[in-house]
Amino acid sequence: MGVLVFYPTIMTFSYSLKEMKLTSPEDTDFVGLSNYADVLTSDSFQYSLQNTLFLLAVVVVLTTVLGFGVALLLNVDTKISGLLMALAILPWALPPIVNGIIWRFIFHPGYGFMNKLLIGLHITDEPVMWLTDRWLLLLIVAIVVAWRSIPFCAIVCLSGLHAIPEELYEAARIDGGNRIAVFRYITAPLMMPFIGIGITSASITAINIFDEIVALAGYKDLGKNLLIESYLTTFSFLDFGRGSALTYVIMLMAAVLGIFYLKSLNREVEF
Amino acid sequence: MKKKLVSMLLCAAMAATLTAGCGSDSSSESGEKSSSSGESKEITFMAPDWANPGDELLAEFTEETGISVIFNEVSWDDIRDKVSIAASGGEAAADVIEVDWSWVGEMNSAGWLEPIEMTDEDKEDMPTLETFTIDGEILAVPYANDYRIAYYNKNHFEQAGITEVPETWDEVYDALTKIKEAGIVEYPYTMPMNADESATTSMMWMAFSRSGQVFNDDDTLNEEAVMDALTFENQLVQDGFVDPASISFNGMDCYRKITSGEASFMVGPTKFVGISNDPEQCSEIGNIVPILLPGTAGTSPQTMALPEAVGITSFSENKEAAQEFVKWYSSADVQKRMYAVNSSIPTRNSVLAEMVEDGTFENAGAMLDEADLIKSVFPNGVPSYYSEMSNTMYNNINQMVLGEQTPQEAFDAMNAKVNELIEKK
Repeated sequence: MGVLVFYPTIMTFSYSLKEMKLTSPEDTDFVGLSNYADVLTSDSFQYSLQNTLFLLAVVVVLTTVLGFGVALLLNVDTKISGLLMALAILPWALPPIVNGIIWRFIFHPGYGFMNKLLIGLHITDEPVMWLTDRWLLLLIVAIVVAWRSIPFCAIVCLSGLHAIPEELYEAARIDGGNRIAVFRYITAPLMMPFIGIGITSASITAINIFDEIVALAGYKDLGKNLLIESYLTTFSFLDFGRGSALTYVIMLMAAVLGIFYLKSLNREVEF
Repeated sequence: MKKKLVSMLLCAAMAATLTAGCGSDSSSESGEKSSSSGESKEITFMAPDWANPGDELLAEFTEETGISVIFNEVSWDDIRDKVSIAASGGEAAADVIEVDWSWVGEMNSAGWLEPIEMTDEDKEDMPTLETFTIDGEILAVPYANDYRIAYYNKNHFEQAGITEVPETWDEVYDALTKIKEAGIVEYPYTMPMNADESATTSMMWMAFSRSGQVFNDDDTLNEEAVMDALTFENQLVQDGFVDPASISFNGMDCYRKITSGEASFMVGPTKFVGISNDPEQCSEIGNIVPILLPGTAGTSPQTMALPEAVGITSFSENKEAAQEFVKWYSSADVQKRMYAVNSSIPTRNSVLAEMVEDGTFENAGAMLDEADLIKSVFPNGVPSYYSEMSNTMYNNINQMVLGEQTPQEAFDAMNAKVNELIEKK
């Protein structure tokens, strides 16, 4: 744990306090927090932050809402429940880069499935440029990532649904509670800790999006998030000092989110 | 208390996931080396699959020299990362590594490359060596030749009533207009304009062929040349000569439009000389003719090279063996045989001439003549800040062709970045 986590974490912090551009190996002066100041005030960071927050919001909402919805569907016992469960889990098993490449073929402006479908149905005459508009590109990235992260959220929620004692539902029915009331006063409050886990997982996934963006749009500015910004600064521009500062900023953001969600997990549930 | 502890541990673990991708893997890289002894007769060679000379050639080298070579195939995109991560820890990712033309400036500044001795005869035979020579020192030896050459579809031109080979960009523009008006193809011109490296190099060769320069002697952008190139590129898009969908294609997808018959003219890599004669990859066999790059008053007196080379890492502990391997690898005989193994275009003009003469390259057109016109676009060598500069260039070029910026705005953004990088240097 110490070697794998704390050592690189401490080393990254020490790099972030230095002038450390690999193309100037002799220049490794201690610069204090100036790398952090440069990063936080740069237009590039602000732009990437906006993209990251957009992705975070859309991925969390889509994953949570649809994940819970899928869990409710899977909770209904049918003959094909096993098959449905297997199908629902499939996207989760895909490596992110494979997921991105599959969707790139779907949204490719030239020979993509989506354009062929729209043109075939005479909805449009010209191919839609899915990946050249900032917000459309980000929305597609968010959908692609949510598609991969929904199964985990659904499984967590499904386990939560299974954990709710049947007696509670029976008692509610005896008291004359209708479906909406049962959902509102029993299912929803008891599911909150599980939904919290789903939200936490979706948030971490959203902040860590990398492969899908690279597969769909490359390293262009248009769709870059903070992780791409960090990768470019560190490994493309070889500025390890600034790149390390950026990594720390992202880490702090993730930690703040983690604390927020973990606190919400520990809430007392009333029903 | 227990809850707090669990919360803190979970937060730390979550934060740690972010650092996972940034961890150094230098130990595994150096682990590829089987020996750390200076007397070792085993070297490692890290390069993409297309640089692999194959088991047969490597076995011959081992037999000749007693040096065995472990070929470490790594995708082109990952090599630079692996080299930089290993080098930051003072380790060699491999003894001999792939060096792209665009990396040589930064690798030189970082002190990662060992100078290589070459004879004057070799230097004369390999014009692309200039790209890898900084302050008189050869830092890598090119093995795969790639320089920009123009291709036109003779059939499309003839259908539009054009019988003369275009020599200037004005003539190209007129031809494109006629082809489009005649309805022979909808988008007669193809050129990479996506926000990636190929958009930067395309702008550079465009400026180089039209104005003879891209940069001033102090490495700043030449405003007249770059503005002219940007304006012309933008005009080609605005006039409907370029498929709008191709603005988000990668370079190869754009270039393949000429071999699929969807485009009538392009400037592209030399490997398309071979591709345009391969029935499996080209539907226009015999129609695509490689010609000299157009210029302003006639054909362009220069072209830009984008070669790939092999270099020796400064951290190598087998430098002598590595030198011997690089000399063997770039020899005329190996270059000729490498073409049969992996289609690498030779970087030695003597080998290129021999292969054109003996018919190895069919329909080579102006391939050989263009090779004599290779010049570097960088007056002081490829700068150490190339990656950062290129990133700004391709993003702004892409924004311009998408209609988000004017050529002047794109130039201003590039110019500001280049000046900032020069100042920081």
